[in-house]
Amino acid sequence: MRSSTPHAVTGLQFVCFCLLLLFFPGCLLRAQSSPVPGFIHDGVLNVCTNPTLPPMTFMKHAGGDTDMPSGVDIDLARALAGYWHVRLEVSSMDFVGLFPSLVAGRCGLVASGVTRLPSRERSFDAVPYLDTALVVVAPATTPPIDRMSDLSGRRIAVQAGTSYTAMVEHLNEQLVAQHRAPIEIQQYPTEENVVQQVLLGRDFAFISQDVEIYFRQKQLHGRVHVILRTDDTDYRQFALYMRKDAQDHEALRHAIAVLSANGQINAIARRWSINPVGATDLTAGPVITFAWGDFFRALASGAFLRGAGVTLLLALASHVTAIIISIPIALRLGGKPGPVRALLGLYIYIFRAVPTLLQLLFVWNALPQFCPIFREAWFSPFLAAWISLSLNESAYQAEINRSALVAVDAGQIAAARALGMGTGQTYRHVVFPQALRIALPPTLNDFITLLKTTSLASVISLHELLSVAQVEVARSFEFSEYYAAALVYYLLMVLFFIMLQKIMEHRLGWPIHGAGAHER
Amino acid sequence: MNVDSDPVMVPRPIVVAARALCRKRGEMYLLDNINLDILKGEKIAVLGPSGAGKSTLIRCFNQTEVHDSGTLSIDGQVIDRTTDLVKLRGMVGLVFQTYHLFPHLSVLDNCTLAPRLVRDMPLMQARALALGFLEQVGISEQAEMYPHQLSGGQQQRVAIARALCMQPRIMLFDEPTAALDPEAIRGVMNIINELCAAGITAIFVTHEMGFARHVADRIVFMDRGRILETTPATSFFEAPRSTRARIFLDRMLCL
Repeated sequence: MRSSTPHAVTGLQFVCFCLLLLFFPGCLLRAQSSPVPGFIHDGVLNVCTNPTLPPMTFMKHAGGDTDMPSGVDIDLARALAGYWHVRLEVSSMDFVGLFPSLVAGRCGLVASGVTRLPSRERSFDAVPYLDTALVVVAPATTPPIDRMSDLSGRRIAVQAGTSYTAMVEHLNEQLVAQHRAPIEIQQYPTEENVVQQVLLGRDFAFISQDVEIYFRQKQLHGRVHVILRTDDTDYRQFALYMRKDAQDHEALRHAIAVLSANGQINAIARRWSINPVGATDLTAGPVITFAWGDFFRALASGAFLRGAGVTLLLALASHVTAIIISIPIALRLGGKPGPVRALLGLYIYIFRAVPTLLQLLFVWNALPQFCPIFREAWFSPFLAAWISLSLNESAYQAEINRSALVAVDAGQIAAARALGMGTGQTYRHVVFPQALRIALPPTLNDFITLLKTTSLASVISLHELLSVAQVEVARSFEFSEYYAAALVYYLLMVLFFIMLQKIMEHRLGWPIHGAGAHER
Repeated sequence: MNVDSDPVMVPRPIVVAARALCRKRGEMYLLDNINLDILKGEKIAVLGPSGAGKSTLIRCFNQTEVHDSGTLSIDGQVIDRTTDLVKLRGMVGLVFQTYHLFPHLSVLDNCTLAPRLVRDMPLMQARALALGFLEQVGISEQAEMYPHQLSGGQQQRVAIARALCMQPRIMLFDEPTAALDPEAIRGVMNIINELCAAGITAIFVTHEMGFARHVADRIVFMDRGRILETTPATSFFEAPRSTRARIFLDRMLCL
């Protein structure tokens, strides 16, 4: 026991050392051969994006038959890849995951309609590529305002993780100093959630960039309009972000300059109709109705089916792994006190105490900083979600198993012993089958919870059911239809497992306290 | 009651021999200097007040409780830390007060599990063996049922059949009648008599004086971890030698 720990450490060091050896030749080759920036590895430009901000980056096609987002940013990334003669790979993820992924080295560039800000440039290098303006948008009936401070006392919606929050908070300090009511901020995870709050009338207005509104006019049929167009210097340009590196920064700036000079960037902007013409095109919007056709098309679509498949597969894989991990833990927890049991108690404590969302973000974004092997392509979002959900669930499952083992009558072990059965035989044939019966209902209960917890994995860019629905909503703005479709999928999946639980309980059926009862 | 079935009076072999057997828990003696010989085919009732060490004593015989000092021989073999427990427990069966049948297995599977796992007996042979013993205890019709579908008396018979499937030479019964009605008690009585007629030694702990009187050849009377007397059943109930036993009997009979 005592001697195995140093061995394990040296083993780990050896693995990391081998991986470093694998890395080094690649690093050396890159330095010698080409002017390609250092954030391009193995001929691949990896770009992180949150495809919920049309027309910069979004899922254009219904059903999401291609996983590839579209938009200005994606076209620009493609043009850059062409310029350097490398392959383009795009990773879609939640907005809050973009910069952590950049830090973790999972992508070389962030291209996601992010504006250039001095505060961001303290930590990252930015290269601007498109002019824009910050706008305040409200329902079509709202009269225009003159300045940001006119929003005093109003409630506005912004996308979480964007810098608009900090800007408004700064403005609020000034408002409070003038004894005026501050602006109330509500943050939502995606841009279309933000727009929806205003459409619903829950919030007064939202903050965005002008190009988005040009595009949204088509989706929203003129139900919103710009009430303020600021000349805030901080939000005048969209920029690509990269890890700080003077040489790479210069290379990227040069590439953008070339693409701008040869008219490619202008062509992209034209393709996505980034011009203010649409802004004047204000007409009364149609009445909101539930589009049954789109609802049924979503139900039958490959994207929803695939999303449900990912959700189901992730939940099953994680729970099976969790059960395998939890059985030895549960057996040891039932044993004598000692350092091993204390450590296992700590393990369970940690995984029950830390929010699942935080565990997912940690595994996906923090692990690569400790050990570089987690930056490689094989460490997919699915694998990361599988690992973190397995560990998380194993803590809960260990508690279920432990209590199930305790609940098996000690007399059962005594009876098996008295018949000459060994410890292994006793557990395999007498204790486990009875513990299974006791553990089954809480286990399936936990599984159903886990099935829904998988929706958190959208933050690490896994395309499970809920993220599929959100992408469809961002494309079409049909909230009720796509949320309802996802809801139906969840209901059906959970119903299936409830039925399975009934059948299994019936098959394993004996009254738990029936055996050994003194009376009939 | 039961006439000795051995027509030729050859001395019967000693199957259990305890010498100065002790078992401690902390400073308390659960078993205190136990000396006892039990002959093959004997029916021994262990009596005494609660906490006298009766169950502890019989459980030492199949080592589900382990003695701390003294010597114990089962069938001529000295039992110590090196004893093959699987072999010992195959030779000495134990039936519990609350039966402890395996609730997830049918009556038949309850009986075949241990022979198949411990003795590597083929399934068909184990089933034939089990059906034989279930027949003997009169419960073969319920072979496919599950324990919770049986009455207490039926469960007790299954527990006996399950122990018999290991083909033991000694059967230990820990309060076999505690949870049974008089009808069922008579059934267990008959089974024990049959077993002993076939050469099996039966040792049972009981609080049922009638049961002890009608079944046992000899009474072992215990109190506070000691054996106070070992007397043939008839004389024990008529005239116990020890004062403690007399008081005990008076209280038991004049409740």
